[in-house]
Amino acid sequence: MPIVEVENLCKTYRMGRSEVLVLRNVSMSVEKGECVAVLGASGSGKSTLLHLIGGLDRPDRRDPETGKSPSIRFGGDNITGLSASRLDTYRGRDVGFVFQFYHLLPELTIVENVLLGAMILHGAAYLGKATEYKARAENLLTSMGLAHRLRHRPSELSGGERQRTAIARSLINQPALLLADEPTGNLDEQTGAKILDAIMDIRRTTNQTMIVVTHDSNTAARADRIVRLKDGRVIPA
Amino acid sequence: MYQFLLTRKYLTSKLMPLLASVAVLLCTAMVLVIWSVMGGFLDMLVRSGRTMTGDVIIAWPNAGFGYYDDLVERLEADELVESAAPVIESFALIGLPDGRQETVMLRGVDGPSYARVTAYTDILWWKKLDRPLPKDKDLLDPRNRPLKTLDWNTLYEQGLALSKMDPRTGEMVAGVVPGIEVSGFNSRTVEGFYNPILVNKRLPDGGYETVDLFMPARGTITVNTIPLDSRGTAVETVSRVLPVVNEFMSGLYDLDNRLVLVRLDMAQEMLKLGTSEKVVDDPSHPDGYKVVGVNPARVTHVLVRGKGDLGKFGAADPLRRRVETIYERFAEAHKGEVPGLAPIIIMTWEDQNRTMIGAVRKETALVLTLFSLVSLVAVILVLTIFWAMISDKTRDIGIMRALGAGKAGIAWVWLMYGLAIGTVGTSLGLVTAWLIVTNINPIHEWMGEAMGISIWNPEVYYFVTIPNQVDPKHALIVAVGGVLSCFVGAFIPAVRAANMQPVKALRFE
Repeated sequence: MPIVEVENLCKTYRMGRSEVLVLRNVSMSVEKGECVAVLGASGSGKSTLLHLIGGLDRPDRRDPETGKSPSIRFGGDNITGLSASRLDTYRGRDVGFVFQFYHLLPELTIVENVLLGAMILHGAAYLGKATEYKARAENLLTSMGLAHRLRHRPSELSGGERQRTAIARSLINQPALLLADEPTGNLDEQTGAKILDAIMDIRRTTNQTMIVVTHDSNTAARADRIVRLKDGRVIPA
Repeated sequence: MYQFLLTRKYLTSKLMPLLASVAVLLCTAMVLVIWSVMGGFLDMLVRSGRTMTGDVIIAWPNAGFGYYDDLVERLEADELVESAAPVIESFALIGLPDGRQETVMLRGVDGPSYARVTAYTDILWWKKLDRPLPKDKDLLDPRNRPLKTLDWNTLYEQGLALSKMDPRTGEMVAGVVPGIEVSGFNSRTVEGFYNPILVNKRLPDGGYETVDLFMPARGTITVNTIPLDSRGTAVETVSRVLPVVNEFMSGLYDLDNRLVLVRLDMAQEMLKLGTSEKVVDDPSHPDGYKVVGVNPARVTHVLVRGKGDLGKFGAADPLRRRVETIYERFAEAHKGEVPGLAPIIIMTWEDQNRTMIGAVRKETALVLTLFSLVSLVAVILVLTIFWAMISDKTRDIGIMRALGAGKAGIAWVWLMYGLAIGTVGTSLGLVTAWLIVTNINPIHEWMGEAMGISIWNPEVYYFVTIPNQVDPKHALIVAVGGVLSCFVGAFIPAVRAANMQPVKALRFE
C-alpha cells in the first residue's frame, strides 16, 4: 500500500487580477521506503506539489477541467480535509522538509536549529525529554560531519554545512516522509554531490521514504523512480 | 517552548528591541516619578495638616469662647477621643534681632496638651538626635555636637513648655517657638539639617568676631498683637519681647516660614482673651457700667485627636459627628455664654484642607493622564518595531510553520517577545524611577547649583523637600500597565505573523 497517494491535484495561484493554474490534475503515489524524484523545469509546479504533499498549502477544491475533488492520502488518511491544527501536527510529526536555501534561523546555533522541530512538536513535554532530544540532535549533526560545529551559528557555516544542518533538522522527529526541494540547487557541483550522497546514505540506512524535487536529471537519476512534471501536468514515463 | 528560546535569542541579538525596552523604561520611569512626587505631595499635605492641627478642629476665630477646660474635659471623656488641646490663633507683627519686621500667624498653645494632640514633640527642631540624619555622613549637623552654654535636653524641655528659666529669679518666663524659617538665621543644607548662619560682629577695638545666630541661645523676638473687641475694633497694640526657646520644623513651608508659637496664657494676655470682669451698662454708676461677674478666659480653637489612625480620607468624619454632639451638650450647659452648635465651626483636617487637597488631587490626575497619553508612544513604538521585525522575519515564520508551528504558536512568539520587552523595560524603569525619586532632593539641589534650575519652589509647593517615596502600590500599577502596553503593542503584529501563508512566507525575499 502506498504511503503517499495523490489524486486529481490542482492548484491555482492568483497573481494580481489573473489566475495561474500551477498544477493540473496531478496524480502520483509513493511506496513506503521508496525514493521518488519529481523532475521538471523551473515553473513546472514541482515545488507546489511538494508543498501540497507536505501540508504547507491546500489544493484547489475541484479540478476545473474534470470537476473531480482532490485527495492527498498519507498512510491512508486524506490530509486535504484535516483541520489547521491537525495539519500542523502532520507537518511536525510525519514530514521533514529540506529546502533549497536551507532556511535556518540565523539567531540559533545549529543544535538549536535542529532542536526547533522537536520543541514545536512536543511543546511543554519537550522539557521532560530535553536531554534525549539534545543527544539525538547532536548524533544527527555528528553523523552529518558537523560534530565540531554544534555551537556555531548558520552564518559561520559553509553552504554545504548549512544544508547538512537542514537535513539533520528534518530528521529530528523521525518523520515517515522526507521532502527535499532542490536540496543541491544552491550548491556547487562537488558540494551538491556530497549532499546527495548524505541523503542517499540516510535512505539506505533507515529506509526513509522521500520525495526529492529537482530540475537536475543527474540528481533525479539517483532516485528509485522519476515523476516528470511539465506545465503542471505529470508526463507519462 | 520554542517561544522562550526565540524570545531570549531575539531579545539579546537585536538592537531594535533594546531600543523599545529603553522607550518602555523611560515611559514607566516618567509616569512613576510623576506619580510618586505628586502623590507624595498630596500625602505630605494631608500628614502635615494633621501634624499641626489634629483630626478635628473646633473654631470660633477672633472672639473665641470660654469654658474650654470643660469642653476639653468632655471631649477627653469620650471613647473616640484620644486628647484635646485649647489653642488661640491670631495674626501678629514680629520684630527680629536684625531689625526686620514680619507678619506672622501667632498660635498660643498649652505645650503638653498641644503635644498630645499634634506631633509637636517630633517637630521641635533643636534637640539631641537619637541617630544622625541618613545623609549626614560627616556628622555636620550641629545637633550631633554638645552646646556651649546649654544642653539639648534643656532646649527640648524649654520648647515643650514654651518657657525659659530666668537665671536671675529662677522663674519660668514665657518664650516663643518660631518656625525654623521665620528668623532667616538658619541655613538649610543639602543633607537636610540646618546650620545657624554666621555673622561678623565688630569689636570695640575695631576688629571682628564671628558669631553664629543660634536663636535659642540668646535670640529674642518682639511680638506685637492687636486685640480686637467683639465688634472687630482694635483695642490697643500689645508688645512683648520674648526669648526664643526653640524652633520647630514641620516640613510645611508655609508654617515653618510664618507660624510662631507662644504659651497659651501669654497669647490670652496679649490678645485680651484672659479672664476679665463681666460688666453691664449702668447709668447710675459713675463709670456708666457695673461689674456683675467674671468672664472666663477664652480660646479661638480646640484641637481634637481621635483614637487610632484617622489619616485616611473620610476616616475622621465619625469623630467630627461625635465632637458635634459633645459640643452641642457643652453649648447647652453654657447657654448664652458660648456660641451654639449652628454658628461654631467644627471641621476635620480634611475639611480644613479640602480646597488644597482637591486641587492637588485634580492636578495629579491631570498630569498622570497627560503622561499616560505620552506613554502611548511606547505602545506605538513597540507596534512599529514589531511590524518591521515581522517583515524582516517573514521567512523564519515560514520555516517554523513548515516545522509544524501553528498560528497560535507563531502569535505567541511575538506576544511573548512583547511581554519580555515590557518586563525588561518596565523593571529597569521601576529601578530608574526608584533611584530618581529617592535621590530627587540631592538631584534638585545639584541642578540648582550646577545649572541654576530650581523646579521645586518651597513658597509654591509648601514643602521644603520634594517627596521622595515610591508607593509600592503605584509601582505595581505602573509595572502592570507598562507590561500590558507592550503586550497590546505586540498584538497586531503577532496576529499579522500568525496569519501569514507558510508558502508565501518561505518564498519571501
